[in-house]
Amino acid sequence: MANSRTFKNGASALAAYALAITAALFFAFPIFWMVSSSFKSEVDISAYPPIWSFTPTLANYAQLFTELNAWQALLNSALIVGLSTCIAMAAGTLAAYALARFDVKGKEFLAFEILSIRMLPPIVSVIPMFIIARQLGIFDTPWLLIAAYALSGLPFVVWVMRVFIQDIPQSIEEAAMIDGCSRFETFWRVTLPLLLPGLAATMVIVFMFAWNEFLLASMLTSQEAKTLPVIAANAIKPKAIAWGLASAAGVMMSLPVVILVLLMQRYLVRGLTLGAVKG
Amino acid sequence: MAIHIDTVYKQFGLLKVVNGVSVDIKDGEFFVMLGPSGCGKTTTLRMVAGLELPSAGRISIDGVDMTYAEPRHRDIAMAFQDYGLYPNMTVFKNIEFPLKIRKLDVRERARKVEDTAEKLGLGELLQRKPSQLSGGQRQRVSLARALVRNPKVFLMDEPLSNLDAKLRAVMRTEIKKLVTSLGITTIYVTHDQIEAMAMADRIAVMSRGNMVQVASPLEVYDRPKTRFVAEFIGSPPMNLFPAQLQPGGTVTCILPNFAHSLREDERAFATQIVDGKGGLLLGIRPEHLLIVKAGAQGATDALVELVEPLGQTTNVYVSVGDVRFVIVTDRTTARAGDTIGVAAPSELLRVVANDDAVLRH
Repeated sequence: MANSRTFKNGASALAAYALAITAALFFAFPIFWMVSSSFKSEVDISAYPPIWSFTPTLANYAQLFTELNAWQALLNSALIVGLSTCIAMAAGTLAAYALARFDVKGKEFLAFEILSIRMLPPIVSVIPMFIIARQLGIFDTPWLLIAAYALSGLPFVVWVMRVFIQDIPQSIEEAAMIDGCSRFETFWRVTLPLLLPGLAATMVIVFMFAWNEFLLASMLTSQEAKTLPVIAANAIKPKAIAWGLASAAGVMMSLPVVILVLLMQRYLVRGLTLGAVKG
Repeated sequence: MAIHIDTVYKQFGLLKVVNGVSVDIKDGEFFVMLGPSGCGKTTTLRMVAGLELPSAGRISIDGVDMTYAEPRHRDIAMAFQDYGLYPNMTVFKNIEFPLKIRKLDVRERARKVEDTAEKLGLGELLQRKPSQLSGGQRQRVSLARALVRNPKVFLMDEPLSNLDAKLRAVMRTEIKKLVTSLGITTIYVTHDQIEAMAMADRIAVMSRGNMVQVASPLEVYDRPKTRFVAEFIGSPPMNLFPAQLQPGGTVTCILPNFAHSLREDERAFATQIVDGKGGLLLGIRPEHLLIVKAGAQGATDALVELVEPLGQTTNVYVSVGDVRFVIVTDRTTARAGDTIGVAAPSELLRVVANDDAVLRH
């Protein structure tokens, strides 16, 4: 009896592992293919049937940095996305705090207003933004995209952070105020540390959204302020797609996100399971 | 420090929560606000703490007007129903927090934290996080955090209601001892009448945003002024019988034998009750009623409906016509269906105002 039960347990564990590994392989394969293609020569990539062993080359990366000016685009992306994420997080979290805790008149309407920015398809706002940018003289500068990304990230931050803040029992903040904190000290010393998991999870999502954004970036820049997704699209040439170049650009774009997620991992697991800060 | 609350009102939108509460709390007093949920007791407490601002009225602490002062400027401490501990900090850091905000020297802080923790039996738990503590331990931490900075006023908002009955009784005595020995003025909010009776120097019984009666525990029990107080305190509650104030100052009762030898001061009290229909109530605690032989002189014959033996006491539910009431006695031989005589000692009968009546001062 005991034996058959052990066997059953062993078999089901084995099946679970097999399934998990299959699923992991299925999702990891495109990434593997992208990374390996980025190191292949043009000939190796177009070989059929596909070849698995090849002499790695950095030619695609060299081309990316010389021909497509990837270095400039990377700097632009980092500046634009970094700054807009910070602005959206700071402004959004403070707004969310007010909406969660203060007795603001027309609070629900205000929150809905903020969300409605999100309902507008981005393409609708491109032409007005283009015209405004031309008049302000900020077309093709990083500032335009920073403003656009901060604005489009804001509703998400407000709505998600509001839930995280509401999840923190109010008595914790009241205790801090009685213990001698001002409203701001209470937020800074007590509420903010409890919000870290939520902040991390929200920030990663806002960052990824802006980092991968293509439509606005392609329409609102021409030379100077191009971001990575825009130059990556240049790998699609009129006659054919330069797969090696596209893969190298893909790897370049993925790396920062991977690094960010690894850095935030500690908080992410708690943050993604909403409401994890109840004492 | 004395606390002076002067005709304070609080309104949330159209909802009136506190309706002109006035009371003076003396230095070092243990003052309990007692009432059912929604009676405004917690809101009143939160206004003293500065967590809510009154819609009208004044609150002063130690003679200084604090009506609109921020909580941090009031030098008060507070214990919350759900403890309000900082979940990301250890017990040590939790207790240390108010001292840290006051920028005390690190060594001084550690000394005070350890002293207070020792006093509350938390010495072993200083490095734990709140999530690793039991409910009783968490409440102790919240008390320690409140006491560590020697507050002059201590506010407690149902601090024991999340604990089980046994622990509640233990913590009740501990809190009372601790606070009394430190001489801290305390306002304690609860819906539990036993807690209120056991701990209070004075009880304010609250109903619908008003303080209905403010008096010592025994006075509230022995001499309830209104129907609400009479029914809220005591278990089973006071027996109340419809009565009338007659022209000339005599009181008649639906059970005539109860009314005819009413005490002089009770009759005087009856004349103070202003009720359009001249209606009032005659009340007597169940344990003050006596069971005598049926037909005895001055007694009222009653039919026994149900007998509940509780061991220490026995509840005997009886009826006289349509009037039902309860007698608490020692062991009894009365059975359901028996007819017994009930006597009400006249010195223990009380005149009680109906809730819609007004007291004339």
